[in-house]
Amino acid sequence: MSHSPMSVSPATADDFVLAMENVRGGYGDADILQGVTIKVAPREIVVIVGPNGAGKSTAMKAVFGLLIVRGGTVVFDGEDITGWAPNRIVKRGICYVPQVENVFREMTVHENFEMGAFLRKGDLTAAYDRVYQLFPDLKAKRKTPAGDLSGGQRQMVAMGRALMLDPKLLLLDEPTAGLSPKYMEQIFQITRDVRDTGVSIMLVEQHAKQALAFCDRGYVLATGANRHEGTGAALLADQEVAHMFLGG
Amino acid sequence: MAIIDFINFYIVPGLLLGSIYAVGAIGITMVFGILRFAHFAHGDMATMGAFIALAVVGLFGVTPWTALPIAMVLTAILAVGIDRTFYDYLRKRPAILTVMASLGVALMLRSLVQVIWGVDPQTYQRGIVRPDTYFGILLRPRELYTFLSVIVIVVALTIFLRASKWGKAMRAMSDNPDLARLSGVDNRMVTLLLWTIVGALCAASGFMLAINTELTPMMGWFLLLPMFAAAILGGVGRVEGAVLGGLIVGMVEELSVLVMPGQYKAATAFVILLLILLVRPRGLLNGKVL
Ligand SMILES: Nc1ncnc2c1ncn2[C@@H]1O[C@H](COP(=O)(O)OP(=O)(O)O)[C@@H](O)[C@H]1O
Ligand SMILES: [Mg+2]
Repeated sequence: MSHSPMSVSPATADDFVLAMENVRGGYGDADILQGVTIKVAPREIVVIVGPNGAGKSTAMKAVFGLLIVRGGTVVFDGEDITGWAPNRIVKRGICYVPQVENVFREMTVHENFEMGAFLRKGDLTAAYDRVYQLFPDLKAKRKTPAGDLSGGQRQMVAMGRALMLDPKLLLLDEPTAGLSPKYMEQIFQITRDVRDTGVSIMLVEQHAKQALAFCDRGYVLATGANRHEGTGAALLADQEVAHMFLGG
Repeated sequence: MAIIDFINFYIVPGLLLGSIYAVGAIGITMVFGILRFAHFAHGDMATMGAFIALAVVGLFGVTPWTALPIAMVLTAILAVGIDRTFYDYLRKRPAILTVMASLGVALMLRSLVQVIWGVDPQTYQRGIVRPDTYFGILLRPRELYTFLSVIVIVVALTIFLRASKWGKAMRAMSDNPDLARLSGVDNRMVTLLLWTIVGALCAASGFMLAINTELTPMMGWFLLLPMFAAAILGGVGRVEGAVLGGLIVGMVEELSVLVMPGQYKAATAFVILLLILLVRPRGLLNGKVL
């Protein structure tokens, strides 16, 4: 089992929207990430799977500047953003939907979207049209507090909030956690729709089998390091991956 | 007792006291909602605001109600200064340190009032004012102005919080601080706005209590318990809850004399506080868990 990432693509950093290379770091003195490499190409859906506590959320936070990074680099859109503060990263074009507590519960659906666009100036009509088009269910609920919605709809509000800034890269941490299979399919479909509007997506998923079937490429993390990477289909076919995570 | 007498002797004073509590409780609930600490200097900041209004009246010879907005602005500046000097310094430390610091600020403000204005009770205007009658309800002008001011303050604040960009940012910060920061809301700007509003509200509540009773260096300290009771009763973090809680506490205090000796009036807020914490700790409108 190799700890160094296998390179599946000969591409250089320039071909990727996001190139996180050999990142080490954590929340305090201990390194949770022991050298993680994850890359996302334009309009690509990249899934990160792995057992609980593998460091999937932590890897995502490293991209968004929520981690103390002690080694490696995070390059976004040709610019080194390692060590940037989250609000600078937001302005640069990455939006992040946390795993939990990802909506303003006491604010209405529409106000949640408004807060998503907090840093944006000028006319927001197009941005609102886009989110209500992606999430038509929310149109009738625009005056409802987000905390009163079902789990699936709350997840949609969370994604909508993040899309209001028109990001180039969207980070989604377990958007289907706790949802019924029907909602899970719907969230996956919406994720594709979002990608089709030109956004690259980095997604952490617990439902490894379904996620690998739906993504373009995937990474398997374990104990803070890369274990496997490849296209979704290749990972699904991999014996070891199947054994580790897919109950095979 | 005729119904109109009941209104004049109990309901009107209850509403009057209640609206003064409400204005104070809004500030307490907002500080707790956004900065997550119990602000014990709130009452003495109200005292300071009331005395600043007295100084404005004395220096410029304006009427007390003209002095009020000036005192609100000055107290807002003072509140921002206090935050910058004391609380901001402790922001990253456990909240209990800021709570204790606010107790220190309370004592400091009170001593300052005593040093500058002395310890004797004072009034904005001397003389006895006769009430006017409105459909049988007796109201002195100062009482009428108090009600009107409270309505203006609550409506203006509600519009600001519901409709303005920064008002929404303040609500967002109170709702989910991490997500608000991820959305690009500037913490420092929200804190600055918060203390501006809180200072102004403190001055208003202190002034309105003083004009309906008298100014004493201890007046704000005695406001603290009913204001906290009101904020917790309404649900911590909820502005509407603070208004509702304030009105209820004020009303219950005034009505308590019907069933208890008047000396126990001040204890009613304490009883309400205990009851709500036992029965419904999130308050009437489901506030944050303390
Ligand atoms: N905020 C935090 N502070 C300290 N340690 C954390 C924090 N969040 C997660 N961890 C630790 O980091 C490790 C990886 O967690 P996480 O990235 O959340 O895993 P995953 O998302 O893969 O389930 C775990 O051991 C966890 O205990
Ligand atoms: Mg996680």
